[in-house]
Amino acid sequence: MMKKMFFTAIIGSLIFASCSSDDEPITETSNIEVPSNYTFERDGQSTVDFSGQTTRILMAEEILNSFTDFENTTVISLQAMYAHQEGDLDFSDAALNASDKNVRSKTAASQDYFSANTTEAAAIRNLFDSYISGQVNEVFPNKDVLAVAGSAGQLADGTKTRYVNAKGLVYNQMFAKSLIGALMADQMLNNYLSIAVLDADNKVADNDNGITEDGETFTTMEHNWDEAYGYLYGTSVDAANPNVTIGGDDSFLNDYLGTVNADPDFSTIAADIFDAFKLGRAAIVAKDYTVRDTQAAIIRQKISEVIAIRAVYYLQQGKNLLANGDFGAAFQNLSEGYGFVFSLRFTRNQSTDTSFFSTSEVDGFTSALLADGLNGFWDLEPSTLDSITEAIAAKFDFTVEQAASAN
Amino acid sequence: MKHWKLWSFISIGLLIVACSKDNGNENLPPANNNFDRGAMLLNWADNIIVPAYTSFKTEAENLNNAATVYSNEPTEASLQSLRASWTAAYISFQKVSMFEIGKAEELRYRNRLNIYPSNTQKIEDFVATGSYDLALPSTMDVQGFPAIDYLINGLGATDTEIVSFYTTNGNALGYKNYLGTLTETILQLTTTVLDDWNANFRDVFVANTSSSATGSVDKLTNDYIFYFEKSLRAGKVGIPAGVFSQQPLPENVEARYKKDFSKQLMLTAVKASQDFFNGKYFNNNTTGESFKTYLDFLNSIKNGEDLGGLINAQFNAAETQANELNNNFALQIETDNTKMLSTYDELQRNVILLKVDMLQALSINVDYVDADGD
Repeated sequence: MMKKMFFTAIIGSLIFASCSSDDEPITETSNIEVPSNYTFERDGQSTVDFSGQTTRILMAEEILNSFTDFENTTVISLQAMYAHQEGDLDFSDAALNASDKNVRSKTAASQDYFSANTTEAAAIRNLFDSYISGQVNEVFPNKDVLAVAGSAGQLADGTKTRYVNAKGLVYNQMFAKSLIGALMADQMLNNYLSIAVLDADNKVADNDNGITEDGETFTTMEHNWDEAYGYLYGTSVDAANPNVTIGGDDSFLNDYLGTVNADPDFSTIAADIFDAFKLGRAAIVAKDYTVRDTQAAIIRQKISEVIAIRAVYYLQQGKNLLANGDFGAAFQNLSEGYGFVFSLRFTRNQSTDTSFFSTSEVDGFTSALLADGLNGFWDLEPSTLDSITEAIAAKFDFTVEQAASAN
Repeated sequence: MKHWKLWSFISIGLLIVACSKDNGNENLPPANNNFDRGAMLLNWADNIIVPAYTSFKTEAENLNNAATVYSNEPTEASLQSLRASWTAAYISFQKVSMFEIGKAEELRYRNRLNIYPSNTQKIEDFVATGSYDLALPSTMDVQGFPAIDYLINGLGATDTEIVSFYTTNGNALGYKNYLGTLTETILQLTTTVLDDWNANFRDVFVANTSSSATGSVDKLTNDYIFYFEKSLRAGKVGIPAGVFSQQPLPENVEARYKKDFSKQLMLTAVKASQDFFNGKYFNNNTTGESFKTYLDFLNSIKNGEDLGGLINAQFNAAETQANELNNNFALQIETDNTKMLSTYDELQRNVILLKVDMLQALSINVDYVDADGD
């Protein structure tokens, strides 16, 4: 009997050791009160606020819809939405028009990556601008013709119609999936979860002493953590308990965390991320900055994985669809993949304290996707997609096969 | 020592169980080597698919002729005659819609004949301008049976009112032309598909007995299940019942303007799907090699019953449930959507039996993924 239990214990640990991708270290959390939901209060009032993030996600949704509003959209109107100015009537939602926030100023704008790298930040924003002008100037004039290699137009994708440029790129998908990295992940991982931001100025002393911002219930450090949270859960049905509807609450990071989490290979990732956000926030309340930073590290790793998994998924799906000659569906997937590959630039590798992929690595990938022939995706070779996806997966614990299928 | 060995063995087994990624069918032996796949493909092509298309082409001709008669002399009588041809053709179409392979796949045949709801604003624009290209993907929601439904049932509240669009309306010619283009397009697409089967695709299809992703069995099986899941279960029932949205969408039922027709179309589709499953000849009650005989051959057992029997029972359960619905699905959804949802559930149970259990038994991999929705 004893023997049995002994061996059972060994077996248990073997399974745990070999299967667990859960690198959450054991933390001393005895002084930290972790609520079951993301609910934090001071004197009976909520201290959680991420309205600025909700606003930007909603703005991004409207921008995305306008990309295919052939009747009303111009370069000027779309650019005005992207670089919205307070009071301008750019959106259908009056609250967004009244806001002093916009998406463009937070694109590639994190403290860690871009505060001393404004050259690259400007280049990235110009790239987003070029997707807007490309959509209106190249795709709109050809919206009523079939696309062929070297010429913009429309393609069937099942019951949907896709609009592509001359190289087969779907600009709205590139814009949206690139924004997941350049706005959501960059602000979250490289700005609000950064020690350089969380510990700046008097934030540690203020948090230690419970000194809240003027007229607010939260300390600045608490608020910064919530701002990171808001880029993922800012439009959740119940933002205090967001995993109930994960994947259904936006078209950006929330959407794709939900999608990845639905793959049995990654079925704990949404819970892991939410738990890390919650414990990190509770640690701030408890003034335990070591636990806070450990949770930030978990979030950085796992959000980076979400982007990498989706990059591999879409490129591999695109490869299979190309093999079937289903160009409309293939180009849609490849354009999403292109955007996620671009977003790899904004991932965060905790062990190097920089991105998992340098700017030149990412540029190499995106160039290669369009360099197999004169006509971009129309000429794309399966071997190119395989080598890029292998290179991406090599930096993580998942395989191309695990990421490439939804099951 | 004994214990060591035993437990090491078990622990390794546990590790494998715990860590192995479920790749579904890849690890199964190719159990299908002895079944005569060629005989099944031949039965499918010669006794079911080609006769079904041949029959539908006749109906499409009748529809096109009726539209011509109506356009030449638009009266309530000729409208009713056109409507009868449309009804017969729409029913007949339910028996070919699942065979989206070869030329049909290339032409996006199902999406050009039966995307609903129609975009009526776009139809009106096209009627007004007379300028359109129905081969463009973006026009799939302004053509086929649903668009004709709008033109012969949806333009007005009474037949008198509808006929007036083709007589006294300032753009009567535009309506006539558009109607004629729609019926001609259905006929032309159908002729192209049937001609291709008769010319050489039948031989290519029957000869391709390979048990790989590119073999005819794997491809048509996937097309069949895709149809059952997306067009039948979701399109005819789930989407209008609100399974995939916040609220029910009664305006998304098939043949929304005819109103009392959606149930008949759905029941025809269920019956056609079951008949194909059982390898029943199109023109009589003879049956040949089929999914059913394939499963019987493999002696697939689930829950102590044979899988083929389970699937047939589930087809019957779906039909029984659907028989309780109002002839007009929109009315059913608005009065008692629970029954629509129950029908959806019965269909969904068969999706699982077909897509999971049958495909596993037949060692066929699913070749499509659920779309992102974006």
